Amino acid sequence: MNIHQNPELLDRLAGAFALGTLRGGARRRFEALAREHAPVRVAALIWQTRIASLNELQPSAAPPPAVWSRIDNLLKGEAEAAQMQQARLRAAAPTPPGEAAVGWLRSLWLWRGATAAGALATMVAVVVGLNLRDQLGGEIQQLQAKLLSTPQIEYVAVLSDDKSTASMLVTFDPKSKRLTLQRVGNYQEASGQSLQLWALPPSGGPKSLGVLGSDKVLRLTAGENDVKAIPALAISLEPKGGVPSEGGPTGPVLFKGALIQKAL
Amino acid sequence: MNTESMDNELITLLDRVANKDHQALKALYDCCSAQLYGLAIRVVSKREWAEDVLQEATLTIWRSAGDYRASLSPPMAWMGLIVRSRALDFLRRRKSEGSQVTQELDDTMAQTLPGEAPNPMDKAQASEQAWALHQCLGQLDHGPREVVSLAYIRDLSHSDLARQLSLPLGTVKTWIRRGLEQLRLCMARFA
Repeated sequence: MNIHQNPELLDRLAGAFALGTLRGGARRRFEALAREHAPVRVAALIWQTRIASLNELQPSAAPPPAVWSRIDNLLKGEAEAAQMQQARLRAAAPTPPGEAAVGWLRSLWLWRGATAAGALATMVAVVVGLNLRDQLGGEIQQLQAKLLSTPQIEYVAVLSDDKSTASMLVTFDPKSKRLTLQRVGNYQEASGQSLQLWALPPSGGPKSLGVLGSDKVLRLTAGENDVKAIPALAISLEPKGGVPSEGGPTGPVLFKGALIQKAL
Repeated sequence: MNTESMDNELITLLDRVANKDHQALKALYDCCSAQLYGLAIRVVSKREWAEDVLQEATLTIWRSAGDYRASLSPPMAWMGLIVRSRALDFLRRRKSEGSQVTQELDDTMAQTLPGEAPNPMDKAQASEQAWALHQCLGQLDHGPREVVSLAYIRDLSHSDLARQLSLPLGTVKTWIRRGLEQLRLCMARFA
């Protein structure tokens, strides 16, 4: 069929193609023709542009302000990460000797941009003698404080019930020795009962990591040794206040899941 | 403000966004987010989901504003394409996660059809092309107009539309064919 010589048919097919209702074999044949014949391609593009105007014809609605806040936070986080990365790269590449004058400016600019305390140690070595440390001391301290206060999640577990429904998200930050549990399902224990978190080591019985309160987000303290090399975690339903670690769980195990150490 | 100066302003903002200017992104968001959010709601049908889509689409605009000029499109058309494609991705993702998205869509779609006039439109804010399409759509009966819009907006086949709108397949096919034909004749006058 010579559709590129039948303008009306071409126009119709291009319209259905752009709308998306031309499907299956008919669509593939049309696409093949468009690749071979520029006029077919042109008709398709014209119709795509026309139909895409539908996007502009939908009723407007003001988004809640929280959406912009989330976008803003993400972009700020991204910018910081990029600066950190840049600082690391710069620190890793020593300045060629011939570029001393440029090096001055560059490193000054770089210093301002640096937000990674981790990279600073290396960079100090690069700019020794430039005497920038005094000016930047305050900034470095600030950055170090910031880095220390940022949690570094190194272990993650999603605990699920017997129907594989995720019910509890567990993260562990060895730096602050903090286990954080977030309830993600709707499970709520009765008032006379408590949930208890257990480490399931490869050998030996379960070891209690603590008893959970009824809040949506719970924090427990644990050392890295309690968590390291533990392949799985479980949560059992116990009498109010929990049971001693030595005896192991006495009630049913409600949720369990593998504990994963993040590679990055 | 007329279309051309509005477009020029948006293009300037997109150029600045391409140079990673945060304030320009905020300005762009302030003037366009209501329209883009409205579109996202129409595709995914839930405000909460549309918020996620708007967020993703804004980040996509932030990252790919450098490609905008090569598209040769009016700025709202370019951003609209991004929002629709992020929104369709969102629905596909929900579907592959095995959620009840189809059922939920069916429920909201059933309420979509009962008559409403085409949205009143401010000519100043629309591109020439969108204005022409708006005029031509206005000449269709409500049913064909809605079915043609939804076919594109939600990327639905004849049978998807028939199922989701609880209409006979034959009706959907006739409405689409007739709707497209009327649009074709009408749009030719604007070309």
